[in-house]
Amino acid sequence: MLNYIARRLINMIVLLVAVSFIGFFIIQLPPGTILDVQLQKLRQMGGDVPRDQIKALELRYGINDPFVVKYWKWVQRSAAGDFGTSYLTDQSVGERIWGRLSVSLGLSLFALIFTWLVSIPIGVYSATHRYTTPDYIVTFIQFIGLAIPGFLLALIILIFATRFFNQQVGGINSSEFMDQPMSLAKFMDMVRHLWIAVLVLAFGATAGLTRVMRANLLDVLNMQYIQTARAKGLDEAVVIWKHAVRNAIHPLVMSLGTLLPALVVGETLVAQVLSLPTIGPMYLDALRAEDMYLAGTILVMLSALLLIGNLLADLLLAWVDPRIRLE
Amino acid sequence: MAVDATQLPHTTATQVEDVGQIPQWQLMVRRFRKSKLSVGGMYVLIVMYTIMLFSDFLAPYDHNRLDSNYAWGPPSQIKIVNGQVSTFALKQTLDQVRLQWLYVVDEGHPLPIHFFVQGYEYRFLGIFPSKLHLFGVEDGFQINLLGADKDGKDVLSRLLKGSQISLTLGFVGVVISVIIGSIVGTASGYFGGAIDNMIQRVIELLRSFPDIPLFLSLAAALPQNAPVEVRFFLITMIIAVIGWTGLAREVRGKVMAYRNADYTAASVAAGGSHWHIITRHLIPNSLSHIIVVGTLAIPAAIGSETALSFLGLGILPPAVSWGVMVRDAQTIEAITTYPWMLLPVLVLIITVLSFYLLGDGIRDAVDPYA
Amino acid sequence: MTSQPTTPPTTTDDVVRVEDLKVSFYTQLGVVRALNGVSFNIPRGKVLGIVGESGCGKSITGMSIMQLVASAGKTEGGKILFREFAGGDAVNVLDYERNSPEMRKIRGNNISMIFQEPMSSLNPCYTISDQIEEAIRLHQTEDKVESRQRAIEVLTKVGMPNPARIADSFPHELSGGMRQRAMIAMALSCTPTLLIADEPTTALDVTTEANILDLMRELQSEIGTSIMFITHNMGVVAQMCDEVAVMYLGRVVERATVDDIFYEPRHPYTIALLQSIPRLGRTKGRLASIEGSVPDPYSRVNGCPFHPRCPVAIKGVCDTILPEETIVDAAKGHTVRCHLYS
Repeated sequence: MLNYIARRLINMIVLLVAVSFIGFFIIQLPPGTILDVQLQKLRQMGGDVPRDQIKALELRYGINDPFVVKYWKWVQRSAAGDFGTSYLTDQSVGERIWGRLSVSLGLSLFALIFTWLVSIPIGVYSATHRYTTPDYIVTFIQFIGLAIPGFLLALIILIFATRFFNQQVGGINSSEFMDQPMSLAKFMDMVRHLWIAVLVLAFGATAGLTRVMRANLLDVLNMQYIQTARAKGLDEAVVIWKHAVRNAIHPLVMSLGTLLPALVVGETLVAQVLSLPTIGPMYLDALRAEDMYLAGTILVMLSALLLIGNLLADLLLAWVDPRIRLE
Repeated sequence: MAVDATQLPHTTATQVEDVGQIPQWQLMVRRFRKSKLSVGGMYVLIVMYTIMLFSDFLAPYDHNRLDSNYAWGPPSQIKIVNGQVSTFALKQTLDQVRLQWLYVVDEGHPLPIHFFVQGYEYRFLGIFPSKLHLFGVEDGFQINLLGADKDGKDVLSRLLKGSQISLTLGFVGVVISVIIGSIVGTASGYFGGAIDNMIQRVIELLRSFPDIPLFLSLAAALPQNAPVEVRFFLITMIIAVIGWTGLAREVRGKVMAYRNADYTAASVAAGGSHWHIITRHLIPNSLSHIIVVGTLAIPAAIGSETALSFLGLGILPPAVSWGVMVRDAQTIEAITTYPWMLLPVLVLIITVLSFYLLGDGIRDAVDPYA
Repeated sequence: MTSQPTTPPTTTDDVVRVEDLKVSFYTQLGVVRALNGVSFNIPRGKVLGIVGESGCGKSITGMSIMQLVASAGKTEGGKILFREFAGGDAVNVLDYERNSPEMRKIRGNNISMIFQEPMSSLNPCYTISDQIEEAIRLHQTEDKVESRQRAIEVLTKVGMPNPARIADSFPHELSGGMRQRAMIAMALSCTPTLLIADEPTTALDVTTEANILDLMRELQSEIGTSIMFITHNMGVVAQMCDEVAVMYLGRVVERATVDDIFYEPRHPYTIALLQSIPRLGRTKGRLASIEGSVPDPYSRVNGCPFHPRCPVAIKGVCDTILPEETIVDAAKGHTVRCHLYS
């Protein structure tokens, strides 16, 4: 087992190196540089920039370095724990990313918990009451959930919340709490703001997983060992929850690996609509501003998250299913 | 007392019903028809794509025609006046307090709707130049059946024009990714060994990218001022590049299973060539699966285009797609006051939903046990 | 052949008496009448073989006794009388709801079941002892130590080489034969009155099959459990059973002691079945097969269900009138459903 984890970790590092190289290449592809964006900004504000100052800035940002040199500089600094200073603001990249990543992770984690808590029982109900009215209703809602992209759902909820409940939804806190230290009132305010985000994030994933859960459980319920369990005289509820669900849950566990990073990055658009301070919009801004160090770092971090998520899912799967443990 | 069964004459075969003898595809069609929702989804899509083909003919105006007299204009009212189907001229006034345009229907000025009128020039199906449009009103006035946007552009015309991109981009992207995925997946699963290993490494690498950020970075790298056709093509390629890996994996799995099936072994034993085995045994067996996965990938691709355009990284104005239109509907103020701006959202949801229903129905029909 | 002398069945001490059982399945393609009035009895302490081709309703009959028929299957008539003790009161199992406490108390405790596929009949996620103890704790004792002890005991009884180690294994770590032994252990863990074995050896290789059959026979005489042995293999019937019921298309067509079935078969179907068994030493000629195939399950055959394939069918009789069950030897309880004997 340890051997296996070690092998996976090494493989992960190799992949991350490849991802960082390719990712960095893609990110610096767009014509123009961060300097152009900066200079344009300066000129818009009315200032003209002298030629030699531009030269100095170019040198400082390494604008004219060949790609490989840029990449190497970035990697060297990242490896030293210094993710660089974003061109866009003067904050350090690390600090900015962590601040945002924590909000993203928190939201995604809640969304994930919500997804599981809802999709498993509903999927089980739907499978055990196949072809009944509630099953049709659940199926219909699932399709709606799959069909509405998250950001559109966010938009719709935003309208309803504003129009009918007169609730301020965007952002993470109401304006009056913005600069206050954490308190119960602020926390409650945050909950009021974030439940929509969690709901929106979880909705699509919940719809998908409910469907998967239903299909799997239907498969498992046809298995001989379910009859064996029934033949023992077990209560149907025990048969379902102890014997069937445990075997039907594999894909859900596997989805954990992809779901967490997907939720973390999937909120890009939702966050855009709800103006949440998460990692997605930050990545987008970095791309737009051609802030390649920031964008590159986020990309590699998300990729690491994805790979770690997959590894965790595989380990969890081995724990759930003894057959996998041997391999 | 024993009766020897073998000495007795043959009895007629039993009245075997036709259940076992219907061709496989007919059984699939039969099963597909059972699912009313999926059949409904299929019809909705047929209608939508038909409308798309005739979109220029059905659209009364060019999708970029501006008319400040109709900024945020409401959907036109239709009544029968003097025996003619008519709409009415609008009186535009400015609400000084809220800074909004107010429109009053001028009942005294009916505008009869003319059918088969001459309008802007377009190419029908991209080939035949034409100026014919289904309907229109007198020049100098505008009919906005579904309202107008902030510049007075006709929402109906934009929806129709936008369908040309929104309904095809995702579709083409998925078709390309299905082709790549099937070829690569089949090669990987059939030949195995070093080829398989290499392909799997590449797929693994591509899949270690979180897809949405990769999507965004690739889209951000697209040239900003390229013509719409080029952008369309490039976005299609992005969808294909990101999408093929999943399909390749699934096809590989299927092909590997079929490769080990007895009938493949029999074909190998009989001296079947690689080409023969792949085209006769592996592809036909995997085909239904490929179609299902493809159908279910289309709505996701449509969603991706919308998302990109919404973020300003996909299709860019002056071209129009439903995503571009959703971008206009971004502000709460816009949608609460002008609800018709949400129509592209509705149309998108219906399209995506129909594709999911169709795909789900095909999957159940193809493989009732999955 | 069984070495025990066969005795005629006594109606007073049957473990299970099935009377005119009718079960239909309502599917999308139509109604499948799986059981069209099945009647038979299982004498206490005996092994009754249920024989027939695939689709004749053997398994459904077993499932019906356990009330485990899939929910698409509807019981449309008949009785299944279960008598736990000799001379005790009989209960109609069908009076209980599928998932009622009364039914669950019978399942696994009084009647238990072994299935055909040892590979898939154990839950892959739990160890062997988890799964055996589950039944013991449900019906016998709640004590963890005791249930564990009993699980190991019963594993020893079924001839597991290293019961304590096997107990902590997962099903995928065992061979097919071992798994079937584990299934038997589980089924016998609560010393049931009746064991329903649904083709328990079909999926096993011949040597393992012989071992499992020996084991079952041995345990049967030791514990005294009655067995309903469902199979399509006449050889296995000869080895295992005291009495036999031959089924065709949802009906019992012949019911006799195992000796009578082999030496004095009456129904043309039974005869045909016996002729399709290869015999040692008889090398000449082709092995007989039964003409035609089992009719499509969605259709209904008029008259005797076997008449389209029957070599001795009487025109105008067999294809119009359904033969009644006729006693051909009252002393041995030999009955047959065929116009030749009515």
